[in-house]
Amino acid sequence: MRALDTAATGMAAQDLKVQVIAGNIANMGTTGFKSQRAEFQDLIYEHVQRIGAQASDQGNILPVGIELGSGVKTVGTPRLMTQGTLSQTGNTLDVAIQGSGWFKIQMPDGTFNYTRDGSFKMDAQGRIVTSEGNVVQPGITIPQNATGLTINNQGQVSVTLPGSSTSSILGQFTLTTFINDAGLQANGDNLFSATPASGQPQDGQPATNGAGSLLQGSLEQSNVEAVTEISNLIAAQRAYEMNSKVITAADEMLQTTSQLLR
Amino acid sequence: MENALLIGLSRQMALAHELDIVANNVANIDTTGYKADNAAFSEFLMPRASDQDFTGRDRRISFVQDHASWLNMSEGAIQHTGNPLDVAINGPGYIQVQTPRGQRYTRNGALQINSTGQLVTNEGYQVIGDGGPIQFQTGDHDISISPNGVITALSGTDPTDAPRGHLQIVGFDQPQLLQKDGDSLFVAPANANPTPSPLGTRIEQGAIEKSNVNAVAQMARMIQITRSYNDIAAILQQQGDERRSALQQLSQLPSSS
Repeated sequence: MRALDTAATGMAAQDLKVQVIAGNIANMGTTGFKSQRAEFQDLIYEHVQRIGAQASDQGNILPVGIELGSGVKTVGTPRLMTQGTLSQTGNTLDVAIQGSGWFKIQMPDGTFNYTRDGSFKMDAQGRIVTSEGNVVQPGITIPQNATGLTINNQGQVSVTLPGSSTSSILGQFTLTTFINDAGLQANGDNLFSATPASGQPQDGQPATNGAGSLLQGSLEQSNVEAVTEISNLIAAQRAYEMNSKVITAADEMLQTTSQLLR
Repeated sequence: MENALLIGLSRQMALAHELDIVANNVANIDTTGYKADNAAFSEFLMPRASDQDFTGRDRRISFVQDHASWLNMSEGAIQHTGNPLDVAINGPGYIQVQTPRGQRYTRNGALQINSTGQLVTNEGYQVIGDGGPIQFQTGDHDISISPNGVITALSGTDPTDAPRGHLQIVGFDQPQLLQKDGDSLFVAPANANPTPSPLGTRIEQGAIEKSNVNAVAQMARMIQITRSYNDIAAILQQQGDERRSALQQLSQLPSSS
């Protein structure tokens, strides 16, 4: 019976949806996390009787046909690239992006990854790095004894050096924009990498060419909304249950048929 | 063969088909822009080849036939997502999509941008605007889609909205002629005559149209299907029993007395 397989695809889809929701809820407190959503589409149809087929020699056209669908499939889990709320931390090396754009991070193998998580640290050489110790591009080194580290909204990092009364600019953060942010591939550790779907990375400076501006002493929270996730979870669970009921019904009908035989 | 058996069988086959349709609806209870299918049955009168002349003539026999499945084109609930590339169509109308198989129509407004900056569906099919595909430029942000489908975006630091295209929403006089093509797409027959911008259609940005499957109705339908399937099975069983006892009794030779 086809209904068994169809309902099974429905159960698999809802199972995946619960997995996506679980990932969102688990990352509710992850800096710079962007929530995901499971997108579904219907599977191909068997046209038992095609719409518009000729029904008689007089040219009558069937106004309706018989279409039997074969279930549902997951087409993608796109990320919702909206701005997360900013929370003030007061930490001088915490930087939040307001608007579009990604921090460019050099990985140990020399390739570049991108992140919205601006909770930066300083390593032993005074370089500005991520929590994993990867260098934030273009690689800004803060000299020893420097005080008064400030990052302005264009990403310029300036410090006051000992014996000087004015601050000096050490460098400027790179912000990378993509034409399709949703096409970036997530690599864990809040890092993303460019794919053919995201388009070429466009390196630039903050607050220019559509890139967002920076805010020192703040972090971008995840854009997961608890209420949405919980209501989606309830809906997914109920939908799963209903699909299982269809399997029960199909099973019951098969059982009835087999019991005819004595 | 006994006619009752065959009539019962025709009903059971139709019910099995209907359960398939219900199963597909329930599986797609969470599919964006999905439209529920319904089954329609018709009576099939057996052609008579019997003699009508004697009194108490043969009775007509009617079988059941699953004659059509029809689409419920009512609107699904609109869910707000906050994603600027999600559009819900409020009112009759379809988004036009270019696929390798030809022109298709969809109510699934969960759109994306591809690597060349074109507006596409989740499957990567181009969304067709008034002047062909809708193209975004590098540096575009704050994309806005107006209720009548005008797409604008802010580009770079320019504070004025730059036009990027116009979503073409088409309507059909007879939407029931649309055929499902999978991937949330519909295909229109050659004589369907799509008309642009049907009356009473508004586009809502940041929202998607959920599936219009009514869970309660589908569950009730399913119970009805299993119950009638069981009832028919009971009738078939009874018929079988009747035949068996008839055979047993009639085959007994009368005792010689």
